[in-house]
Amino acid sequence: MGKSADITRRTMLVTAAAAGAGFAVWPYRSRHVRDIPSGRVVLNYWEKWTGVEGQALGRIVDRFNNSQNRIWVKRVTMSDIVAKSMVAIGGGDPPDLVGLFNFNIPQFAEAGAILPLDELDSTKQLLPKHYAPAVWNLLTYENKIWAGVTTCYSLAIYYNREHFRQVGLDPDSPPPTVTEFDHYAKLLTQFADDGSLKRAGFMPNIPNWWPHFWPAMFGGTFYDKQTNRATLVSPENIAAYEWVANHPKLYGKMAAQTFGSSFNRTFHSPQDPFLLGKVSMILQGPWIANFIGTYAPTFDYGCFAAPVVEELYDPTHPTGILEADVIMIPRGCPNPQAAFEFLLYTQRQDVQEQLATDHSKPSPLMNVSEKFIHEHPNRYVHVHDAIIKSSAVRVAPQTRVWKQYADMIASAFDAIWAGADVRSQLQAAQDRVQQLLDTSALRRKQRQSMIGKYP
Amino acid sequence: MLRKFITPKPADHVGIQTLRGLIWVSPWIVGFVLFMLLPIGMSIYYSLTDYSLLEAPVFIGLDNYRELFSDPVFWISVRVTAIYALCSVLLSTIITIALAVLLNNKLRGVGIVRAIVFLPTLVPLVAAALGWMWLYDGEMGLINNLLAKLSIDGPNWLGEKHWALLSLIMMSLWQVGAAMVICLAALQSVPRSLYDAANIDGAQPLSRFRHITLPMISPAVLFNIIIALIWSVQVFAVPYIMTQGGPEDSTRFYTIYLYENAFVYGRMGYASAMAWLQLLTVLGLTAIILRLSRNFVHYRIT
Repeated sequence: MGKSADITRRTMLVTAAAAGAGFAVWPYRSRHVRDIPSGRVVLNYWEKWTGVEGQALGRIVDRFNNSQNRIWVKRVTMSDIVAKSMVAIGGGDPPDLVGLFNFNIPQFAEAGAILPLDELDSTKQLLPKHYAPAVWNLLTYENKIWAGVTTCYSLAIYYNREHFRQVGLDPDSPPPTVTEFDHYAKLLTQFADDGSLKRAGFMPNIPNWWPHFWPAMFGGTFYDKQTNRATLVSPENIAAYEWVANHPKLYGKMAAQTFGSSFNRTFHSPQDPFLLGKVSMILQGPWIANFIGTYAPTFDYGCFAAPVVEELYDPTHPTGILEADVIMIPRGCPNPQAAFEFLLYTQRQDVQEQLATDHSKPSPLMNVSEKFIHEHPNRYVHVHDAIIKSSAVRVAPQTRVWKQYADMIASAFDAIWAGADVRSQLQAAQDRVQQLLDTSALRRKQRQSMIGKYP
Repeated sequence: MLRKFITPKPADHVGIQTLRGLIWVSPWIVGFVLFMLLPIGMSIYYSLTDYSLLEAPVFIGLDNYRELFSDPVFWISVRVTAIYALCSVLLSTIITIALAVLLNNKLRGVGIVRAIVFLPTLVPLVAAALGWMWLYDGEMGLINNLLAKLSIDGPNWLGEKHWALLSLIMMSLWQVGAAMVICLAALQSVPRSLYDAANIDGAQPLSRFRHITLPMISPAVLFNIIIALIWSVQVFAVPYIMTQGGPEDSTRFYTIYLYENAFVYGRMGYASAMAWLQLLTVLGLTAIILRLSRNFVHYRIT
């Protein structure tokens, strides 16, 4: 072979560099981008759900994209969505829509990080009459509406009907009051011959996901918005957490410590303590029906609203807590009006019912179809629905420090469960929360005066 | 033209040489200024403001620092981190030296054992945390099952206040491989003649270890202690995955609380103040250790 045919090192490097540069500047578009029909306004929608819940939302997005020819919603699944939303909005590069939690609304609204929907809703389509009153309260803050709802849920007690039968209890008559509930729990509890706990009737830390739930059963509240005071140390809340503290006494301190926490990583799996029969009654959301259907389809279970103290008992107004996933439009997003159009679409009854069915949750709307109730994967969805529409339902206090407040309650719960004094734990948490509330109010005043000075 | 300028010549003026040098390192300088110096400077400013990421910062002077001193969770996080750092650094130093001395012997299969000891340092933190969560599981965990075979009723390692922090400290000792390799290298550079001389003088093994080995490897030990201290004060991923600060705040590490303030509670100014206190504490502790080390660390002059 002649010398002229050799590839020199220089030629090779130049060729490689040219190929690299060509690859870098090639007008490549991902399949996702190529699929977008031309001429549409593209909306970036950040949402937290993955798996089947994400796919369910994907079907809603697809329905919307196919229902018209002006807007294309691009769903982006986002982990740690609150932190990333804060960074994106604060950094001036927000998505068009973001799916967060109801307790984020006060913080984002006060910061002006989201658009009040009243300003976009020129035809007044978002109206309180469409929503359950408590849901509407969640979406509004300081007389403005800030979010649409994607899904919502209330919590209720699920129970093992077979266990009820085993101990001579009527599985069709669940306990409506705390006294009866405690009696049932005691009957359902079983100890092994060696004294170890074999089955718990009920344990407030299985699962320990909502340590702020229990005051609802005793009429307790956490916050007085008028005075900006934390009300954790109230007689009702003390009674609630003293009731919690009684459980380790019933089961034995060591058993209470190890039994509940040993299931921390097995919920919603084939080793779920409720499905395994390790616990007879459990506080859960409506989605548990999906997991029962998957892992124990023959499991015989029932559901009832959480029991309350005798003086609060009113079967027409069941108690529970309500939480919601919300969809908001960040300030500074590229296409607020188109984003609002999609947000409005998600609030339609048929869309809400489709998503709620797929997520095995109740609808947040006042009107629900017969089909929704009858074909819902959770045959007790009416229990959750009644809680959501009840005047006795509780929602998270509307303050930007609620997340930290809830974490303080969780720590107090842990300490109380381990045997610490109820009042002193609640007092310590309240003192710190009040400090946070006062600081938050002071900072808001400072910020408002600064904005007034430098508009 | 540029090529001519950046190619050094012996006759160049010192200023031109400096300029050439700066041009060569300019990519690093730009990166350092943009991605290190500027954020560091901004975090000092943010620590003096009320800043949530969502809003413009408002200057509040030293209020964040004042609030920290009256925040009970802050003090819990300081206490938890201090206990962890103290125990972890102390135990890992002892284990590191012991392992290095043990594996410095020319025994059959010692290379494989060294590799096995080093291997955990290659495991990603998240994978390690998930694996240890199953090992520590109260009901189904391997550790409790082994203890049960010895008729010992194992605790709920990560679920009980008195065991959770200890469990994380024990887990931290699993990854001493890198420090062990440094100690091993130091051990292998100890001159044989020192041991020969000690043998002639009739020194016993323990005496040889105390008067020859330890002083000779003391610079490596000091390095390991400082690195372990910095890592343990900044520990985040493993406890965040395994316990998320619970139970009862018993594993609420400083960095977990810092992260929560920054990205969960929306208090970036407060978190910045925490970060600066952390940095100053680590600097102070390092300075103290370096000062104290003058009395214990032996540097060979060659």
